[in-house]
Amino acid sequence: MIFLHPLALLGIAAAAIPALLHLFQRRVPPEVEFPPLRYLSEAERRSARRLRLRHLLLLLLRTALIVVVVLAAARPLVPSHRSGAAHPPTALALVLDNSLSSGAVMGGQVTLDRLKTAARAVLRQASPDDRLWLVLADGVVRADGREELLSALESATAEARRLDLVAAVRAAAQVVGADPAVVREVLVISDLQGTALESDRVSLPAGVRVLALAPRPSPPNRGIDAARIASGAAVVTVGGTPGSGEVPVTLRLRGRDVGRGLATAGTTVTLPVGDPGPGWWVGEVAVEPDELRADDRRLVVWHAVPPARVAVGSGAGPFVSAGLEVLRAGGRVADGAGVTIADRPATGASVVLPPADPALLGQVNRALAARGVGWRFGPAGTPGLISGAGIEGVPVTRRQRLDGTDSGAVLARVNGEPWVVAAGGIVLLGSRLDTAWTALPTTPAFVPFLDGLVNRFARGETVVEEREGPVRVAFRTVGADTVGAIVYGPDPRESDLTPAEPSRIRSALGAELVADDGFAEAAFAGLRRADMSGLLLLVALLLALAELAAATLAR
Amino acid sequence: MTPRERLDLLDPTEVARLGGVEIVAEGVVEGFLSGLHRSPFRGFSVEFTEHRAYQPGDEPRYLDWRILARSDRLFVKQFEEETNLRAMILLDASRSMSWRGAPERLTKREYAQRLAAALGLILLRQRDATGLITFDDAVRDVVPPRVKSGQWRRLLHGIVAVPEGRGTAAEPALRQVTSLLVRRGLVVFISDLLLDRSLALVALRFLRHRGHQVVVLHIMDPAERTLTGPPEVRFRDPESDESLVVRPRELARAYRDAVQHEIAAWRSACRRHGISYHDVTTDEPFGRVLRRLT
Repeated sequence: MIFLHPLALLGIAAAAIPALLHLFQRRVPPEVEFPPLRYLSEAERRSARRLRLRHLLLLLLRTALIVVVVLAAARPLVPSHRSGAAHPPTALALVLDNSLSSGAVMGGQVTLDRLKTAARAVLRQASPDDRLWLVLADGVVRADGREELLSALESATAEARRLDLVAAVRAAAQVVGADPAVVREVLVISDLQGTALESDRVSLPAGVRVLALAPRPSPPNRGIDAARIASGAAVVTVGGTPGSGEVPVTLRLRGRDVGRGLATAGTTVTLPVGDPGPGWWVGEVAVEPDELRADDRRLVVWHAVPPARVAVGSGAGPFVSAGLEVLRAGGRVADGAGVTIADRPATGASVVLPPADPALLGQVNRALAARGVGWRFGPAGTPGLISGAGIEGVPVTRRQRLDGTDSGAVLARVNGEPWVVAAGGIVLLGSRLDTAWTALPTTPAFVPFLDGLVNRFARGETVVEEREGPVRVAFRTVGADTVGAIVYGPDPRESDLTPAEPSRIRSALGAELVADDGFAEAAFAGLRRADMSGLLLLVALLLALAELAAATLAR
Repeated sequence: MTPRERLDLLDPTEVARLGGVEIVAEGVVEGFLSGLHRSPFRGFSVEFTEHRAYQPGDEPRYLDWRILARSDRLFVKQFEEETNLRAMILLDASRSMSWRGAPERLTKREYAQRLAAALGLILLRQRDATGLITFDDAVRDVVPPRVKSGQWRRLLHGIVAVPEGRGTAAEPALRQVTSLLVRRGLVVFISDLLLDRSLALVALRFLRHRGHQVVVLHIMDPAERTLTGPPEVRFRDPESDESLVVRPRELARAYRDAVQHEIAAWRSACRRHGISYHDVTTDEPFGRVLRRLT
């Protein structure tokens, strides 16, 4: 039993008042002549036992009355499983998972509606003395009143974002754990998909209790995990529930289907794009609608450009010529002066290698400076391994250090120092593409690297980024030119609706699992208590009536 | 005579305001006798003297049925009182008799004095030799039973002159009656009976044994029948000075029961020994009490 107003218990001392009055308040009664005293003595003798009992009863009743009234004033709370029971002031954080997966339809009901129903039932039990927080899929911990959080709850919709439940519960547990309230709870209202519990586990502050809505079996789901254009084809990765059957995948361009294939979750299908011509293209990859519609489509964006026209200048070396020959044969480059590969900058886009003769470095650096490039060749650097630009771990035995200040221009590094930088239409390499400088020309990565140098880095190829969000495309422009695009789509981990194992939920979140029908009752229930003050006041009333009866009726 | 003029039926307090014991007694007796159409103490010392015509209000039992049968006329028999009855009034003058429960009421003694005086006057008017003994814890005054003129004055003096007494002991007075009443007579014992019941009953029984008719008038103030007062009060017995602190409301019922028990005990004991017992409260009109005695 706990008391909402424990200081009121000091009033218990007042219970001694009747006894003290009886013992110490000796009034001098008025004296009256009364001849028939013998009758009075006889009456008292006959009533002595009854009067003693009655006085004792009155003393007990009055003492009990004071005790009961004081207890009622202290608002005692006793453990109760009654749903309407009051609870002590509670710090309660509600983690409502309105991530993409909450939009799935299960058993004819949208999962989010089910979650909101459970959350609503919990919030409606909150009292003004409670401290409340709401954490949605955006991870923001909102502290507000009951009505405000109910309003936020009602306006919550399934968002195209992933919720890291472990991180959300950790944040919720921190704010709840920092609250001085005696009762502190975190309620996790989520579909508890396994992919939401991938990070390690929550270390709960002492005294914080976590309750989680028990997950329901999920239907198989398939979604588009990723889509990108490579070599004139759309490479589509299908995700979702492992082991689910094949699903048709369709590629739409300009509103019409241009490719179709079959894929299962976890596999990739390649759909030909054809040659739509140069320019920015937005295609849509989709699977057949299923229980989770939000991951059934994804956009794919690419910039179709003609092959770079490449000229080989002085000092490029035989490996460059050979690589370009391969690219030329594959249609990735053509002859021309669009991009020059040489040991000095040309007038247009250039890939500049360090001159074989170090004495020429100064001349090259001056030419770079004349082009307004903020980078220059420095002294010889230490050997190391290449990291970046699609290359990892290829050794470099000789190199010139690249000196500059624009770290954003660095495309690859050796020993942490810039090895490839791109700035102002110029791409500087720290080593010549020769086996005397680096083993790169002898590796399979060389031709793709060369392709990247001439078609992407030197020509300033636009970059298409992928970000989490509602399915859409945002283009980046500089002046009238489109220089890039951001393709938004859902996190592929949201497509796997498979709920986590209970053991994983307990270990990751430290949560007790409670079914839907008992969840609202379980909330605040760790220390749910019934307010006994009403009952005590009723008892006090009965005691008062008994006292009144004993004091009057017994006369 | 209208009821308004019947002093015997008025409130004793109002009657007492008219004058002293003598005036009140005479007024009461006049009223009492005017409403009485027969001898108040029938069966004692009355002989048939003559017939007279029946008047409305006459006792039907005194109709002479023979005359009625012979002449179809109504006559009643008239009796002549004798003077051979000797009566003694024993009046309690103890301290407890000087108590009253409310200032507007007569004390028990004042009430008893007026009642004794009225009773004595009635008896004397019947030409009965009437005497008086006043007592408290001892005999205070004795007026031997006489019927001669001046006896009424002597009775009044005996009733009024005795100062407020102390305790109550009836046996000496009752014993003295035996020496004053050598023949069968009437003994009227007026007291609040706050005395040793067993001792008093022994003496009364002895009188009864001697052939006397014994009447006990138990005088009580109405406030003695029901216990009232402040929430807590110390009650003190004026005779013994003993006191008791009680809460009247707590003991009211038990007290009432105790009083009823005492009255019942007196009534039962008196009935058992052929003694006439009457409990009288000081707010009861004198005439009504006198009528109960007839």
